[in-house]
Parts: sequence; C-alpha cells; structure tokens
Amino acid sequence: MLLEKFLWGPINDPLLLSITLGNSRFKLIMIFKKYLAIIKISLLSVMAYRLSFLMWRIRTIFTFLTIFYFWSSVIPQNNSLFGYSHSQMLTYVFGITIIGIFVFSSSTNSVGEEINDGNLSNFLLKPINYFSYWLTQDLGDKIVNLAFTIIELLILFLLLRPPIFLQKDLVTILLTVFAGLIAAITYFFINMLMGFIAFWNPEIWAPRFIFFVLLGFFAGQYFPLDILPKPVFEFFQLLPFAYLLYFPVKVYLGQLVFGQVVQGFAVGIGWSIVIFFIMIFVWKRGLRSYSAQGR
Amino acid sequence: MVAIQVNNLKKYYQIYKKEPGLTGSFKSFFNRKYEDIKAVDGISFNIEEGELIGFIGPNGAGKTTTLKCLTGLLYPTSGEVSVLGYEPFKRNYKFLRQISLVMGQKNQLWWDLPPMESFLLNKEIYGIPDGEFKKGLNDLVSLLDASEFLEVPVKKLSLGQRMKCELISSLIHKPKMLFLDEPTIGLDVVMQKNLRDFIKQYNKTNNATVILTSHYMIDVETLCKRVIIINHGKVLFDGKLANLVRRYADEKLISVILKKEIDVEKIGKIAEVKKYKYPELVLSVPSEKISVVTSKLLDILKIDDLNIEEQDVEGVIRKIFMGANK
Repeated sequence: MLLEKFLWGPINDPLLLSITLGNSRFKLIMIFKKYLAIIKISLLSVMAYRLSFLMWRIRTIFTFLTIFYFWSSVIPQNNSLFGYSHSQMLTYVFGITIIGIFVFSSSTNSVGEEINDGNLSNFLLKPINYFSYWLTQDLGDKIVNLAFTIIELLILFLLLRPPIFLQKDLVTILLTVFAGLIAAITYFFINMLMGFIAFWNPEIWAPRFIFFVLLGFFAGQYFPLDILPKPVFEFFQLLPFAYLLYFPVKVYLGQLVFGQVVQGFAVGIGWSIVIFFIMIFVWKRGLRSYSAQGR
Repeated sequence: MVAIQVNNLKKYYQIYKKEPGLTGSFKSFFNRKYEDIKAVDGISFNIEEGELIGFIGPNGAGKTTTLKCLTGLLYPTSGEVSVLGYEPFKRNYKFLRQISLVMGQKNQLWWDLPPMESFLLNKEIYGIPDGEFKKGLNDLVSLLDASEFLEVPVKKLSLGQRMKCELISSLIHKPKMLFLDEPTIGLDVVMQKNLRDFIKQYNKTNNATVILTSHYMIDVETLCKRVIIINHGKVLFDGKLANLVRRYADEKLISVILKKEIDVEKIGKIAEVKKYKYPELVLSVPSEKISVVTSKLLDILKIDDLNIEEQDVEGVIRKIFMGANK
C-alpha cells in the first residue's frame, strides 16, 4: 500500500491535473492515466501473490548461480577460453541475467489462457487497445522484476566479489539500453504470437514449452553464441533470437566492431518489424475464429 | 430511433467430436472429425431505443451467441448487424463506450483485488472525469446497497455481492445499451427482486436500451413488454408478452371447489379433467368453449367456489419449446 501511495499518489492529485491546460494536453493525460492505471493494477496483482513472486525470484537467483559457477570453474582466473577471459565470461553471465530479466519478464504468458477461457472478452468489450494494454502491463512487470534483480545481484556481487567488467563508455551504454528495448519489444511480439495459438488450438503449453527450451539456447542464455563453430554461429545470427540476449550483452562488453553493431541493429530491428506485422495479421484472423468460450 | 438492426444473422461454429476413452482420444488425434454447429441460424429483428427486451430460449438456443454478436465479440458467419449505427465487430471505441455486457456466470472483475480497483481501472479506461465518476459510483453503490464490500478482494465475495459489483463496474460509464446475460442466475429471491427493480430503474432513468436473457420467467414477466423467443438458432416468436399468451394459450383452466363428492367420469364428458381430489377439481377447457362449460358446471354441480385461470407464461413457453422440438 505504501509503495502504491509513493508511486501513484501525485498522479491522482487534482492540482496536477488542473495545471495542465488545453484540450489536447488534457487528452494526452487521459491516455497516460489510462495506461498508468493498468500498470498500477498489474503491480497490485503481482503483489497479491507474494509467495509465487518470491518463488520466481528464487528461481532467477538459482539459474544465475548455476551458470555463474559453471563458467567460473570452466575458465580459471587469468585464463581464457573461446576468446573469453574469466572476467569477460562472468560479466556475460551477469549481463545475461539483467538483460534476460528485462526482456523475458512478461505477463503475456496468460494471453493464451485468456483466449481459451474467454476472458479475452473482457478486453474486447472495452475501448482499449489489447496490445497497448499488455505492453503497459509488461512495463509494470519489468519494473518490479528489474528492481528486485538489481538489488539481488548487488548483494550477490558483494558476496561473490567477481571480477566484473564495468563499461565506462556512455555511448556504448546507451546502445546497450537501445538494444535491450528492441529485444524486449521483439520478445513481446513473439510471446503474443505464441498466445494467439489458442485461437485455433487450446493446447498452448506444448508449443510454448518447446519454444522456451529452444529460446534459451538460441538466444545465448547458457553460453555466448560466438563460441559455436562459425557457420552455426552465423546461422544463429540470422534468427531473431540472438538479438534478445546475446546481442545486447555483446554490445555492452564492447567486443563488437562498428560494422557488427550496425548489422546487429539492422537485423534485430528488421525482425521486430516483421514479427510485428505477423502478429497483427494473426490477431485479426484469430478474432474471426474467436468463440468467446466458457460463457 | 432504431438502436439495433439484425438482418439474417448467422453464426456457425466448428467443433470437433471425440469418442469417449483413450481409443477415442487416439482416433481423434489422427483423424479429427469436425462438425458445424448452427448456433444462430438466420435471425432478424429490430430494437428501438429505450426498449427493454427479453430474450428467451432453452439452453443452447443461441441467446448468448446472439448477444456476443451484438457486442462485437464474435465475427458473424453471415448477415448484417448494426448496433447504434456501428458494426459491432469493428470495435469502434465510440461504440464500445456506449455498451456493456454483463454475464451472470462470468467474472469481469480483477479476481485478487478489491472491486474498487476494478472500478478505478474502468474509470481510466472509459476516461470518466473525477466528479462524474464519484457521483455515478455513489449512486450505483447506494442503489445496490454495496458500500460494505468495496474493499474486500473479489474472490472473497459472495455470489450476490459479486454480481452487484459486476453491475457497478459495467454501468460506471453509463452505457446507452446494456446486454444482460442471465444476471439473476444463482441469486436468492430477494436479490433477484432487487436486481430486477434496479434494471427497470436504470432503463427508465437513462432511457437505456436493455436486452436481457434469463431462465427465470418472472424476470421476463416483470421487466419486459416485448420478448423474442429463439430456439435452435431461429426466432420462434417476436412480440408483446401478452400476445404470446393469447396466441399460444388456447386453453384455460377452470378450478372448482366442490361442496359434494362427484362422479368424475360424468364430468369427463363435458371437459378434460386435469385433477380431482375432493373438494378440488381442475378442468382444462378450450378458450372458445369456456362460457358454455362454466354454465353447465354451475347447473349440475354444487359449487363453493369457481375460478377461471389463464395458463401461465411458463407453461406457454414450455409448450412452444416442446412443439419446436418435435
């Protein structure tokens, strides 16, 4: 409740509203408030299930520790493997965890269930854009998860004292943030698409499960993709998944030359546009065969 | 002004059939048999602004499917639908701001949070100004007597309390068009009556068009002048409730309290005996013969009391459904 007051108190202040004059500005605030209200209610929902939230956090920490200890024992200090030094590899692991939380924490997993049980109807009946709705909810989700992850990793960092590489170049850091945003949006589109399977087939978990197993591998969650044989690596670079985790972290590490960065952004953005249009197309087709079940 | 125009609306579903058991599952896995279900099969009607209409039909008649087509949830297989001048499926925001669909069997509120949070979210979604929201909310809360449980998580509410909150959340934006799908289902008789009174008042004060489906005839009888009866996706009757009874109730019931025991067989020659248990006798008589039979009865029997009753609406509707099923 305190967090709620702290975060959203001022926005509901009538004073702030009355200061903003002019119709168009007022409208903008209305839209802003609409989506702010969604973030708020999604945060409240997350908090309503404290235990499951806690479990999710613990899961993240254990995944991190597993990969961390694996690589830290595979590459001894002052040694290097596959072109990665001990410190570079551990930074990669830290980076993957932070970017991964930002990109992958999403509540859109329930889109498919909503279609299956007919709860999608609640949105279709209201003057609200379904995609903006979920995008905003995800933003709320990401804020919470990212905040917790950074605190946890800070604690782990102080306990483990790993030799982490800190990027000091501001442009590189900004590029990393940009790459992370593209990754998050692309992943959002993919995740919505996975949910839309439910329009035609109620068994949404099987394809999603297989997808996630492959995703971690293709995106570079367990190891940096460039330690793979060159032809395989080049093939992976053509897929959208490399741009979800591997690419942003590589940008951060500053290991890419200018041409590689440009190419990476081009392919990443290209994929996100392509997937966006597929998503819209599938959504429109899906609505036609939606049966608003369970009612 | 015409609020709703429906012209030859059809909605067919494809469902797949599976034999029971494991072998059935295997068969269906490799060779799935699909079947067309004609949920709505060519219905047409017009509804004027401000009307309160009852949609009646047995389970699976196509009532809910029709409502879903009218609110834009379902894409019609064919036919034309126009609601407030909009094509529902296009989901124009101006259209969506003016409608609401309440389903008695389904929850629209955020399950884990108090209803107040859902109301506040709707306030922002519909862009209701603060003052208007407060006044509207106060009105609804006091009309429905709901002030006590606005801060309790929805999952902890009783069915009646939840239904009240559903209504508040669906009406907070003052829709011109209200679709109610079995709003009284599962409620106790007092709550049912409260809800009916509320719906009637909402219809009057806002000149809102209301379409209501219900399995309880009393809902329809007390609320709706006009009814549309559908079965198997087709309209069987569309008109005033009174006309329905007049048209289909071709028989009336005469119930008599006797002074003396009688020979039932003798009476049986005059009219069909529905029930005889001294001192009560109930006869079923074709409407046109009612005066003849009554005077005969008064002649030959010693009678304490005599009553002529119309068949009740429920009986009439049951008859229509049974007739249509044959």
